[in-house]
Amino acid sequence: MEDKKMTEKESLELITAMIQRTRERYVGDGNIMLMWGYLSVVVAALVWILLVKTHNPAWNWLWFAIGVIGGIATPIMDKKQRVKYGVKSYSDKLTSQIWTIVGISAFVATLFCLGFSLLKGYDAWKMMFAFALIIVPMAEMAQGIVIKEKSLVAGGAIGLTCGIFIVCCIAAEVPLYASLILPLFIIAFICMMIIPGHIINRKARLQR
Amino acid sequence: MKELDPILHSQLRLAVMSILMNVEEADFVYLKEQTESTAGNLSVQLDKLSSAGYITVTKGFVGKKTRTTCQVTDQGRKAFEQYVEALKGYLNL
Repeated sequence: MEDKKMTEKESLELITAMIQRTRERYVGDGNIMLMWGYLSVVVAALVWILLVKTHNPAWNWLWFAIGVIGGIATPIMDKKQRVKYGVKSYSDKLTSQIWTIVGISAFVATLFCLGFSLLKGYDAWKMMFAFALIIVPMAEMAQGIVIKEKSLVAGGAIGLTCGIFIVCCIAAEVPLYASLILPLFIIAFICMMIIPGHIINRKARLQR
Repeated sequence: MKELDPILHSQLRLAVMSILMNVEEADFVYLKEQTESTAGNLSVQLDKLSSAGYITVTKGFVGKKTRTTCQVTDQGRKAFEQYVEALKGYLNL
């Protein structure tokens, strides 16, 4: 392409062609989602095994590994992704903001639970399961609608269903045993993050 | 009939603006690939768009390599919309 003048018709055709090219760009990259998915599933499985084997609730501190590792890895992976594709769309910006809100609210929720636990000895940590399976699926479904990816909406719906079930259990004071809640958590994160992440990566590979 | 903006009525500059109108930001390599232009020519046209206040050009580093990213400004967005309106007038659309 050169710096040449065009007719009005050529100008309009060029605008249409360029808009088409930006729309045909990559479908995305599911690597960040896969990282969060595998991290959550591995930590949940580890906590489950250790709780069952040792009956020591101190292993629950391992949950913090999700926030710490994920929180450090996400900006690094996001930067790499932006450099790799060379473009940031409006939907990228919107989904990034949605997940930032989820991250901040997770941090605030953790502080509250920690405060309840350390200051008054109350156990509010159950709320984090409800948080993980209500707020996260909602964000994921919103992302799925924005980028038109059905697997995200379907995965989010499964996660949300699990979350609503947990909230009902908490409200009805049904004891949340590790053997009930942790498999549910693992299944939800496989459906919400791991399966859609692989589907998005496969679509991206086919598009290249 | 309204005159077409001379800054936008040029093949490469119009292509760059059309891309930037549809994304939040794009880097130099992406624009070069999408417009199938040479680095030198693209660089000159980006300077012209930037001087006109239609885009912002930010130079950063990724490791040891430089990375130039471009974003359309409000002024550029308005100029592009007016350009499209003027085109419609010319083509009786």
